[in-house]
Amino acid sequence: MENLKIEASKYTPLITMDIQKGEIEIRGKSYPENTFEFYKPVLEWIENYHNTSNPSLTLNLEIIYFNSSSSKLFYDLFDLLEENSDAFKPVINWIYDEENESALESGEEFMEDFEDLNINLVEKSGQTAS
Amino acid sequence: MSLITNLEALLEEEGVIFLAYGGLFTQALIAGMTEALEQKSEEADIPVGISNKLFVIFIELSQNLMHYTKQKVFDPLNLIYVLKQSDHYSVCSQNSITKEEKEILEPKLLPLKDASKDEIKQLYKVARKNGRNAHEKGGGLGFLEIAKKSDELEYVFEPKKDGTYHFKLCAKLKI
Repeated sequence: MENLKIEASKYTPLITMDIQKGEIEIRGKSYPENTFEFYKPVLEWIENYHNTSNPSLTLNLEIIYFNSSSSKLFYDLFDLLEENSDAFKPVINWIYDEENESALESGEEFMEDFEDLNINLVEKSGQTAS
Repeated sequence: MSLITNLEALLEEEGVIFLAYGGLFTQALIAGMTEALEQKSEEADIPVGISNKLFVIFIELSQNLMHYTKQKVFDPLNLIYVLKQSDHYSVCSQNSITKEEKEILEPKLLPLKDASKDEIKQLYKVARKNGRNAHEKGGGLGFLEIAKKSDELEYVFEPKKDGTYHFKLCAKLKI
């Protein structure tokens, strides 16, 4: 299992997956043409995370805006983390710009749907890098 | 009436056209248009919270057109446009669909028309939850996303002589 990096495009976020740090970062906009294909490496990486000695996994999600199939994908991603709660002790940081109320709303809805997951809403002040 | 006169009439009657596009839809084009919308929104000083909703509605409708029209013959009537009116923005799309497609779409849209924000949120959550990897095309969660991000949803299925329909949908977003 290796660290993984996917560069951002106009319609897909930057993704870094770091085994040593036990950290996944997804940052940017998300509206791929085929969402499931695009995020497949992320889901597979998490499924294989059992094989590492790292006792915890942090997911930093900073999505400016995203389409409905990305929303579905993030739901599945959270679902996968919840299933592996005992093994990974996952922490999710939902990072949003203070002016971006629709991103805040989305984060709150994920918290409602995944009460057992450790989700933090993290407000960022100033302009979001795009 | 030709498409051009149609758009000109819109421009005169309805307000300022932010963006209008008709024809073939590809992911690269959608990304380019979204980028143009971002620039326009910034120039117009639209608050980030509202402009991000506008982009998502635009993306949903364009990607719908892209997926929906992929296996079909090129139809210049496939159209998307964004209008700025006095107190709101409208994102509208139109395309030709068969009677069978209308029968799939209409029951998905009907409950959204008069639903409250809270009802839409609940419907959205249920639809999103349904089955891992169930990335269905054809607007289930997509229409809910549009309803969730907009303040008003209007649509019409105009019957054509050949038995197909002209499907038009507009999502309004208050400024």
